[in-house]
Amino acid sequence: MSSIISGLNIKNIFEYNPLLSYDKFDIIDYQLITGISVYPNYTGFGNTGLCSWFNNDYLEDFATDGNFNITGWTNKVINSGNLLQFSLDDNVRPNVVFNEPYITLKNLEFLSGTGFEHTKRTIFIAANTSSPNKPNIDKQKIIKFGPLDSPNGSLQVAGTNGNLQARLILDNTSFFAVSPIYDETNIFTLIQDAGTSLKVRQNGLEVGQINSPNAQWNSSYFEIGNNPGNNGINYYDLFYFSGILSETQIDYYEKYLFEKYFPESDGLFFAKKDVPVGEQYSPIFFTGKDYWTKNINDLFNFNYGSSANFTANLSPLKMGDGYKTNIVNTINTLNATFNLVYDGLTDAQAKCLIAFFENTPESPNKSIYEGFKGVTTNLFNPYKSNAELYFKKANFNSSYNNINKITIEAESLYDSSLDYKGMHVVLDEIKIKTYTETVDSLTTHDVFYYPSTSFIDRGYYFYTGINRNSTNATGPVTGPASGPFNKILIGPSESPTGTNSFFTKDFYFKGDLEYDINENVRLFSTEMKNSTIEYSKDGINYNILEFSVSFNRRTNQEARAILKFLDDKAGFKIFSYTLPQPYNKTISVYCPEWNHTYNFINNNDISVKFIEFKNPANPEALFNTQIKLT
Amino acid sequence: MSNFLSYQNIDFRFGDQNYYASSVSLSAQASVDAVLLNDGSLLNYAPNGAVVGGLSVDFYLTGSLPSFLQITGLNESPIDVSFAGVKINQVYSKSLSFSVEPFQPIVISAEFDWYGNVLLEDFNEQSRLILNNKLIPDYIANGYKSFITTSDIEGVGFIVSFDYNMSCDRPAYFNVDEVVPFRVAKLNKTSELSIKSNTLGKILSIDGKSAITNITLKDTYNTSLDLFKVSGVLTNQNYEISEGQYLLASAKITQTIPETKTLI
Repeated sequence: MSSIISGLNIKNIFEYNPLLSYDKFDIIDYQLITGISVYPNYTGFGNTGLCSWFNNDYLEDFATDGNFNITGWTNKVINSGNLLQFSLDDNVRPNVVFNEPYITLKNLEFLSGTGFEHTKRTIFIAANTSSPNKPNIDKQKIIKFGPLDSPNGSLQVAGTNGNLQARLILDNTSFFAVSPIYDETNIFTLIQDAGTSLKVRQNGLEVGQINSPNAQWNSSYFEIGNNPGNNGINYYDLFYFSGILSETQIDYYEKYLFEKYFPESDGLFFAKKDVPVGEQYSPIFFTGKDYWTKNINDLFNFNYGSSANFTANLSPLKMGDGYKTNIVNTINTLNATFNLVYDGLTDAQAKCLIAFFENTPESPNKSIYEGFKGVTTNLFNPYKSNAELYFKKANFNSSYNNINKITIEAESLYDSSLDYKGMHVVLDEIKIKTYTETVDSLTTHDVFYYPSTSFIDRGYYFYTGINRNSTNATGPVTGPASGPFNKILIGPSESPTGTNSFFTKDFYFKGDLEYDINENVRLFSTEMKNSTIEYSKDGINYNILEFSVSFNRRTNQEARAILKFLDDKAGFKIFSYTLPQPYNKTISVYCPEWNHTYNFINNNDISVKFIEFKNPANPEALFNTQIKLT
Repeated sequence: MSNFLSYQNIDFRFGDQNYYASSVSLSAQASVDAVLLNDGSLLNYAPNGAVVGGLSVDFYLTGSLPSFLQITGLNESPIDVSFAGVKINQVYSKSLSFSVEPFQPIVISAEFDWYGNVLLEDFNEQSRLILNNKLIPDYIANGYKSFITTSDIEGVGFIVSFDYNMSCDRPAYFNVDEVVPFRVAKLNKTSELSIKSNTLGKILSIDGKSAITNITLKDTYNTSLDLFKVSGVLTNQNYEISEGQYLLASAKITQTIPETKTLI
């Protein structure tokens, strides 16, 4: 049993077996093969005939010039030939890629050497080829034997990155690849039997064989790279043995490469539909990708009742007299947690989701400096579709046989309120668009981003007029008054910054009829022993309100506008709010906390916490720089 | 001018099978709440859930009960129904009942939930041709030959009539942004049998009375159409007598249908 399976609280999960069929929501632990992995220099099998081994484990594996250009890749097999670059031309010398387990040979860069002459070889290569600039023309060489451009003995990749389109080319014979050939790591295994046959395997599956390979396969000259005009090939590991290894040994060495360089393909996969028997349905193959997934969005949708909670991480600095400033502690002030509801699950679905939840820490690290990746989640309306969430807690509830409910609490760490497009309710140009003078229609609570060089004018505006389209654009003047053809033309005076605008940047939403406001007078108390407490007012602003407002059962359209407004304020920005009857006064507030529950279509509950701020809502000093994250 | 549609009899179809229905009732229910704002104005009426449709049908049993009407079974799948020109895709069965009395035809009553849209404008009358060519069923379940056996109820006398009902709850589960459920599950499956007899034996205890009964529905030609079993507990006894009448005892037997979990 793998460590992954043993770490789960779910029984009956097994390593993938291509001889079995699977049902939708079945779970497998994919390890390429079920056997062991073996280092290339392992000698337990006897004299293996390891002739060459190049990898990137240590900086000392490379000879470099003063600019960390590679002049040689050292063969780990002592007294065997190295791969060298003697030219002083920087265009052909690759760079050391620090912090990555590969070297990249792009464009004209190449390494070559002699002393690699063998008639029988078993060659293993782990490489990641970038997409070609001209997919229909370019062929990218993975390896080449023989010094000439032609003829030579070579393995190349070509074509586009799809099933029955991506190709592996041995000499001049083309075979369809079984896995994507670009932008994913691949294991290529070549089995060279003198001049009689040459087989190629991709990720453990035999792709093709030629029976009369070019004579240059026996050459002493070996070269990698040199693909003019292309972005390069990342070489992770490259080793070969003289002679032909057994199928079992090949499996062992391929698994070594798989375990070391395939963190994305290792571990649990989940069936998104019934899977037939056959090795071609393995998760890393083209056909298998239609059946297996690690993406939760392929498996489950959220149910109503899902909710979001936002809290600003602030340190208020109190100035006395009720004045304060909110110190923003981090660049991502706003903490967002989501309660994701998955209800009505069958037992098989619940097992799948629990296993997914428990396995999320097995995700590969974001980089060598960071922890594991979160779960890419297609959030519910109106939140973004590509949020990265960390699944932290799960509640499993079973109310009846085969009826299960799982609620997952997930936290967002990497979505930033510094992005002008928004943190979670984003400028997606679909539901929230950049403002243009001509629009198809206007619906109350539409949100537009108004770009402007002026800080005061720039930002998000909310349409407060009645619903408008091209057929009622000339009605009462509560919306834009004219529109050509099938569009609405919004005149300058009716634009967000116009004098008759139906757009606002203010918090214009009305709370529920039922509301509570609790007041606490800020007082100093003086308590002397054996005497009555004496109160005195705390400065001049002793009635500072802190209260909640509810917006229950609101339409999706209004909820999006409210949540976009709050998202844009990022938990600390000040805005005006008019208190309800009998207060009726407009005060400055900020909103450090709010939560939202999606009950049903057009039924959203939003509760916000407002804290009065004794300063004007409009700042007097401006930071007039727009930062765009691209 | 509005038309009142007339039906001589009702063609009712489960899937592609005709049934002889005596009545069909179709309904739809929306749940909304008024949203009132803090200035006293009314914002709108917010939906609390999907429109839940109801469908009930009374029909004559002319053969064995179709599998989708096995309310207490594992099958959660919906079935398409149509009548009077209207088709409802995907109805979910939730109850089935019938009464058996001497020499009376047995009418099966079934209830369903449905979701989504129904084109009510498709209602139309049956053509005269269809009416004239309609086949009359040869076999209809009847109380004449149908019977009940009680193997475990101590002291029950002659059963003169009985009512049977099996039902379950059908909770619907929706993905966000959708108004049609992705699953309509089954839970709280029960079957009930009410019997009338001349005597019921001793009064029941705090545990009720264990009861195993088998109902056999037959047509007038003694052909068996279907079997129903209620193996539960008798929890209710009533004795009624009125002037000029015999004493009649009635009892209710309830069975909770469990589901053993399948190890996965």
